[in-house]
Amino acid sequence: MTTETTSAVTLPGGEMLTWSDRVEAADDGPLAALAAHLVPAGARVLLAGPHSPALLDALAHARLTCLLRGYPDAAAVAGRVDRVLVAGPYGLPAGEEYDVVIAGAGLDAVESVEGERLGWGGLLARLVAAVRPGGDLLLRLDNPLGVHRLVAAGSWYAGRNDADWTVGGVLDAGRPGSLEQVRQRLDDAGMLPGTCYAGYPRPDLTTALLTVDELARRTTSGLFDAVLHTACTAGYTGQFVLADPARLAVDALHAGRAAELAPSWLVLARRPTGPGHDPEPADTGDAAHRLRRVDRSDNPPPGSEGADRLPVAFVADAVGGTVVEVRDGPQGWHWHPSGITVPCTSPDAVHSGSESAHRDPAAAEGPVPDGRLLRSLLLDGCLRRDTALLRRLLRGYADWLDGQAEQGLVAGAAAVARADNLVVDGDRWAVLDRGWTADTPLTVDVVLARTLRHFAADLLTGGYAHPWTSTLDVAGLTVVLGGVAGRDFDRAVVEAATQPEVTATPSPTDPPPGPRSYQQLREAWLRQQEENTRLAALLKWTEDLLTSRERALRRAEAKINLLSGSLSYKVGRLAITPARMAKRGARAAKRRARAAIATKQGGQQ
Amino acid sequence: MHHANHFYGHAHVLARYAGLGDGHPPRINGYVQHGWNIGDGLAPGHPYAERTPSLLWSEQTRRRAWSVGRRNVTVIGAPFVYLLAMQAAEEPQPPREGTIWYPFHGWEGQHVKGDHKELISRIRDTEPGPVTVCLYWHEHRMRRVRRLYENAGFRVICHGYRGHWWKDTDPRFLDNQLVELRRHRRVASNRLTSAIFYGIAAGCEPAVYGDPMVLADEDPTFGGTARIRRQWPQLHGEQVHLPTAVDIAHAELGTEHRHPPAALRELLGWAYPQEETT
Repeated sequence: MTTETTSAVTLPGGEMLTWSDRVEAADDGPLAALAAHLVPAGARVLLAGPHSPALLDALAHARLTCLLRGYPDAAAVAGRVDRVLVAGPYGLPAGEEYDVVIAGAGLDAVESVEGERLGWGGLLARLVAAVRPGGDLLLRLDNPLGVHRLVAAGSWYAGRNDADWTVGGVLDAGRPGSLEQVRQRLDDAGMLPGTCYAGYPRPDLTTALLTVDELARRTTSGLFDAVLHTACTAGYTGQFVLADPARLAVDALHAGRAAELAPSWLVLARRPTGPGHDPEPADTGDAAHRLRRVDRSDNPPPGSEGADRLPVAFVADAVGGTVVEVRDGPQGWHWHPSGITVPCTSPDAVHSGSESAHRDPAAAEGPVPDGRLLRSLLLDGCLRRDTALLRRLLRGYADWLDGQAEQGLVAGAAAVARADNLVVDGDRWAVLDRGWTADTPLTVDVVLARTLRHFAADLLTGGYAHPWTSTLDVAGLTVVLGGVAGRDFDRAVVEAATQPEVTATPSPTDPPPGPRSYQQLREAWLRQQEENTRLAALLKWTEDLLTSRERALRRAEAKINLLSGSLSYKVGRLAITPARMAKRGARAAKRRARAAIATKQGGQQ
Repeated sequence: MHHANHFYGHAHVLARYAGLGDGHPPRINGYVQHGWNIGDGLAPGHPYAERTPSLLWSEQTRRRAWSVGRRNVTVIGAPFVYLLAMQAAEEPQPPREGTIWYPFHGWEGQHVKGDHKELISRIRDTEPGPVTVCLYWHEHRMRRVRRLYENAGFRVICHGYRGHWWKDTDPRFLDNQLVELRRHRRVASNRLTSAIFYGIAAGCEPAVYGDPMVLADEDPTFGGTARIRRQWPQLHGEQVHLPTAVDIAHAELGTEHRHPPAALRELLGWAYPQEETT
């Protein structure tokens, strides 16, 4: 537990007096929620490396010791924890053991510039030694081949930042580069690896923790799809990347590889109890130092069974600043509020219908509906030009909205859920996250138009192939999608329905909002180029047609002139001239008579 | 607007369906496929502006068009499907009787080589009831050809002139055709053509038999009649399995791809019409 008085800050040696690894509170809300599950009240906990204030708050019920290399960071947490050690790994007193050791920023952040380097294996051994038998180690490892690396505009090996006094990478054989390798290293260190989480969207920002086993098993889960899409879109907004990280992450999910491409992993490992399981003090990776395999029958992996079972996912809401958990139960997965709140990750992030929607705390708990995410199903239908599938989906959605409506009005979560928050399981439709609810009920057509417009903008600016013409703008495509849904509303309806919430309408040749991806910027440029080519060809064709029609007109005029000069025309003209003159005279007389009557009436008045 | 969009009054039908009235239809931002074909949906030899949308009848044609280099291709379904939607057979129709027979035609620039007398004899031997022969307009104007069919005791009709370079288009061409099709129990031709698919969609039993005749200078690019017989053998013969024929006709005419009026206006570039339509 924390003390009222300032906690002791000790400097046993190896400290960095001006260095800071300051972690923003929003950066590891899900880690804080996970740690709260692992740490019982009164437990002795070592936080090795920098951690966010959210984690300290979540573990306020425990006795915390922080091992920090930077003195400013130690000064910042002093008073909030029991003890602060400002040192490199050598500063950790030998023989001191903890119930839980957490290295939530990875092992590199434990190493100081002062003193001899221990390397990854040495650091692991040092922390493993600090775990009591039966205690847990929660270790973060960055993935050298994660989504962040695949979309990075810069190379990982250039290392120009202050923290890059050495550049640790996959070429260092002493450092694990995959989940399999880290599990093996933990095993070698005498630990029993258990539940493992994939952290998205960046190594330095984890807004979603998802169990790797479920990620591999539930490859079409609408929940995982939505979480990865949202986390990677919000997490890279405004950053220049090579390709859309959200697309890559969701593709990896569908291929069963979302865990392998996670930017980081959190691995939970338990130090076994019983004789013969004490690890060697230092594990240099040498096979000679490896310990006997753990007897798994006596020591089940941590976090995977019974009451010990950890949630399937921890997700930080980018808008509300709360962390929600997804727990597995007899009735399947369900949402559960973690009680952890963190500042908004993106102050600009707004819910798609935020101006007419609000967060409903009561709806934060409840079942997580099974099914695939509507957004992905629609994108798949568009890419494969499967218009039958698109018709079935959009008509299903429109019918479902009809079913949700009372007296033609849709209220609650269904009114503000877009395609990235709706799941479809056969004929069953459901809102994935029911936490957002409409301020006022809306008509079915307004809800449908808003959802379709949102998807149309996503489809066009995202550069996705689709079955319709390039001449459609966002409103036009929304109308066409409405038609596919079996509704006949025009662009005036779309514009009226989306007026309050849409400030700027993107052009189909714009890149998407969010990450500034080279690939998508290039695609947008290609779309502009294609549009210019189309317009230039159309202009030339129109010019040619105009020339041909002008020629036809000249021919017609020549024919008229020719006929005007013919004898029959002249005779005919002579014949009708008296009639034309008489007609003209009658008109003039009529005009004069009207003028005279008007003058007379004016005089009488 | 490309003049081919006016053929058979297609643009007029689409404008009526789109709620733009009976007047002159506004320009279509694209090329509407003007007849069933086994190529990319566009008529060979017509000048087209690159990447201007092709508005095709069926998904199969769209895939084929894409594979031969066409881009901006989208499926809207045949104009005849839109006509059927406007003139659903709700009110009681007169009882269907006999066969409407479409001897294969070329267009103005082509001439059919074949023996009309032999064809007439085959029709007589095959068709159980009265026969109406529908000739293409330029054959209908050829007294010699018309007389051949009239003398055989057939009723000879023509649905109208499809038009050329915006001139003399009969805007009721398809309407006339639908009325005639709905009068008959069977629709037949010596080649699988648009009329057979229209007939099936209008409720006729189809048949394709007899000398397919050949066109002078027929374009062999897409495989000609031989390919048609290979790919759609189910539709050839004096008797055809009707449910199969209905399924194929719906796919080829793109019945499922018909858009509602507002969506059609967007796809044809009619959301902001530039011309008066009345």
